[in-house]
Amino acid sequence: MNLVGPTVHIVDDDQSFRTAVGRLLEASGYRVAAYESGEELLARLPSGHGCILLDLQMPGLSGLELQARLADMAPFLPIVFLTGRGNISITVQAMKAGAYDFLEKPASSTAVLEAVKRALQLCETRRLEQDRVQALHTLVARLTPRESQVFRLIVRGKRNKQIAYELSTSERTVKAHRHNVMEKLGARSLAEAVSMAERLGLLEKTA
Amino acid sequence: MIAWFQARPGKIRASPSCRNASALICILLIAIFAPTDIGSAEVAGPVPRVLILYPYDERIPATNIVGEATRTRLLEATAGKIELFSEFLDLSRFPEMRHVERMARYLAEKYIDRRPDLIIALGEESTRFIVRNRNAIAPDAKIVFGGFGSATAEELRLPDDVVGALTEFEIRKTAEMAIGLQPNARRLVVIAGSAEFDKAWIAAAQEDLTGLPRNVETTYLTGLSIDEFAEHVAALPPDTIVIVLTVLSDRSGRNFVPRNSLQKIASAANAPVYGPYSTYLGHGVVGGNAATFESTGAAVASLAIDALAGKAITDVTVPQSYMADARQLRRWGLSEADLPPGTVVSFNERSLWEEYWKEIIAISVFVAAQSLVIVSLAFERRRRAAAEFQARRRLLEVIHLNQSATAGALSASIAHELNQPLGAIRINAETAAVMLESKEPDLKLIRQILADIRDDDQRAGDIIAQMRGLLKKRSEIDWQEFDLKDVIQSAIHILRPEAERRNVVVSSMGPPQGLPVRADRVHVQQVILNLATNAMDAMLHASGAERNLVFQTTLAGTNGKVEVSISDTGCGIPNDKLSSIFDAFYTTKPAGTGLGLSIARVIIEIYGGKIWADNRPEGGAVFRFVLPLAQRG
Repeated sequence: MNLVGPTVHIVDDDQSFRTAVGRLLEASGYRVAAYESGEELLARLPSGHGCILLDLQMPGLSGLELQARLADMAPFLPIVFLTGRGNISITVQAMKAGAYDFLEKPASSTAVLEAVKRALQLCETRRLEQDRVQALHTLVARLTPRESQVFRLIVRGKRNKQIAYELSTSERTVKAHRHNVMEKLGARSLAEAVSMAERLGLLEKTA
Repeated sequence: MIAWFQARPGKIRASPSCRNASALICILLIAIFAPTDIGSAEVAGPVPRVLILYPYDERIPATNIVGEATRTRLLEATAGKIELFSEFLDLSRFPEMRHVERMARYLAEKYIDRRPDLIIALGEESTRFIVRNRNAIAPDAKIVFGGFGSATAEELRLPDDVVGALTEFEIRKTAEMAIGLQPNARRLVVIAGSAEFDKAWIAAAQEDLTGLPRNVETTYLTGLSIDEFAEHVAALPPDTIVIVLTVLSDRSGRNFVPRNSLQKIASAANAPVYGPYSTYLGHGVVGGNAATFESTGAAVASLAIDALAGKAITDVTVPQSYMADARQLRRWGLSEADLPPGTVVSFNERSLWEEYWKEIIAISVFVAAQSLVIVSLAFERRRRAAAEFQARRRLLEVIHLNQSATAGALSASIAHELNQPLGAIRINAETAAVMLESKEPDLKLIRQILADIRDDDQRAGDIIAQMRGLLKKRSEIDWQEFDLKDVIQSAIHILRPEAERRNVVVSSMGPPQGLPVRADRVHVQQVILNLATNAMDAMLHASGAERNLVFQTTLAGTNGKVEVSISDTGCGIPNDKLSSIFDAFYTTKPAGTGLGLSIARVIIEIYGGKIWADNRPEGGAVFRFVLPLAQRG
């Protein structure tokens, strides 16, 4: 993990701007990948962590469209939009779609560097979070189907008796499953188990 | 100084120099005295030779006028079938006998092979010369003379076959003319100078004037200086008659051309002045009785023609005439009605009016009306030119307003485009600054950065220049020849950011060769921008998936025109509006002025083109305009 370090992906149709920003970021120690268009970015879909500096107005695939595609394909890469001017409606759209930051051209190098730094931090956080979730998924995968059922009911605050009733089994059996669940997940308290379930998105599903 | 025919007054009657005599008088006199039978005379046999002898040199106007009149008549009457020779004896400058003999020998030698058939001798001296030397020069020639009177002719004892046109001076006729004009005059003053000729004149006049009415007291004034003459006549009462004969020289010995001395006296005189020479006319005399040099020449020629034709000829007298100067008549308050019958009145502006008043009025009215028309037309033309100038200035102002509106509509995208190089410049500069902070700056990279900064600065400058072209205000059309394709490319360049923002794909196609047109480049670009922004607006709400803006140029036929079409994939134009969209204030856009297309039409029509709109069968509208191609050559 993180073998290649963070990469800043610059998508701008203006070559000179692309070069200038790339040079700035490289001078600041970042790895840089530049793309002339949204299509090119999608074709060479970035792996690893990093962030995307995206020009809002480009011929072909527009910044907003690219944002929508990336949300599915590279959800961890925060997008910093670069705009030629404040266009409120587009900005709001981009924010709603999860844009991390906005830079107005001409932006100072400090602003660019700060935005990139924060975006990369976010990326790191997201990656850590994702790692954790991934680890949880692994743990949850180790539960038997019965234990999994019991886990989903525990985190919803059901008592052993209620669970036994729902699963048409004895309270004693439930107690044993519960113990196994807590053991396998490494949860030391009910609260910790609930937190894990929450992070895995199990709570939103109605039973 | 002898500036005229050497002649004794009363005997040889000639007149002073006529060099400056009015051409009008000459023509009138010729017309009056021209013998009418010359044309009928015929000269038989081979082409006759005629030698004209001038007594003096070629500068002397008096003999020249007579000689020229003679030549003209001779040539007319013989239809040019005559050989004319002229010899200037120069006897005033070389009066010596030796010269006379030399001339005789010379002429005898000269004409040895071409003996003249007839010799015309002008003046007394020529006549004397040829009579004496005729055997040596032209033994068989007939001799005709002119320029002196019968008294001189008698004195010369001319042989019978020497015949001439005699010029008689009758000073009495001049005096009678004066008395007729001034019936109340009591005094007659006759003036002559101190030269021999002048004195002889006085004597002749005294003889001639004896029979005048008794109540006119005649005084002869001579032996004075020119200034004394002038002084004297200035003191005379107005009812005096002054006759100036000649003043060739005055008491002090000063020599004059008689006409000039006459002029001096006449201008000072307090009474009307008369004189016996036609050349005096126009120089201050009221009038007089005289023979003109032209009529002398004509009479001499007439005799010569008859002689050549073999007819018997005898002496004739050159007709004399009464002449008067209308201005002098008016000056002295004399009546034209009192002139002798047949008097030729010169310088008479009034008679022109009297004779032609109807025509003059008609012509004047016509000229005045015409002038009025011309003036009013010129005025109208100026007014129209001013109005046209005003109209054109307004039009250019409106065009400029529209231009500004177009620029305003595009300003957002232009600002965006400007921000690209500005953003790059800023980041590049700051990166370079950071790099320079490091211990071992990558100078190669920094150099590259500076080069990029320079390029971006150039780019920003170009964008601004383009914008400035778009906003430039014109008070006059800046005619220039340019390639229409360049203008389309530049318009596309301006529009591209906006098109990208709106997801419009811009493309252009056309023939490979240049399309030169003559117009104001900014205006044509404006039309293209107007049509293109309209097209992009039309595509804003169109449902179609593709938004295409296509510029196409085609050579329209062979008549040297280029057609530009701008098509979109928008919602098209309602068919019933296709013709009215170019009218002013037609608009479908909430913020539109409705002037864009009408201004586009005005601009295209200024440059001799045409603009129209259509719907494309596959959807969307197409705007087309044609412009004449500039003539190459």
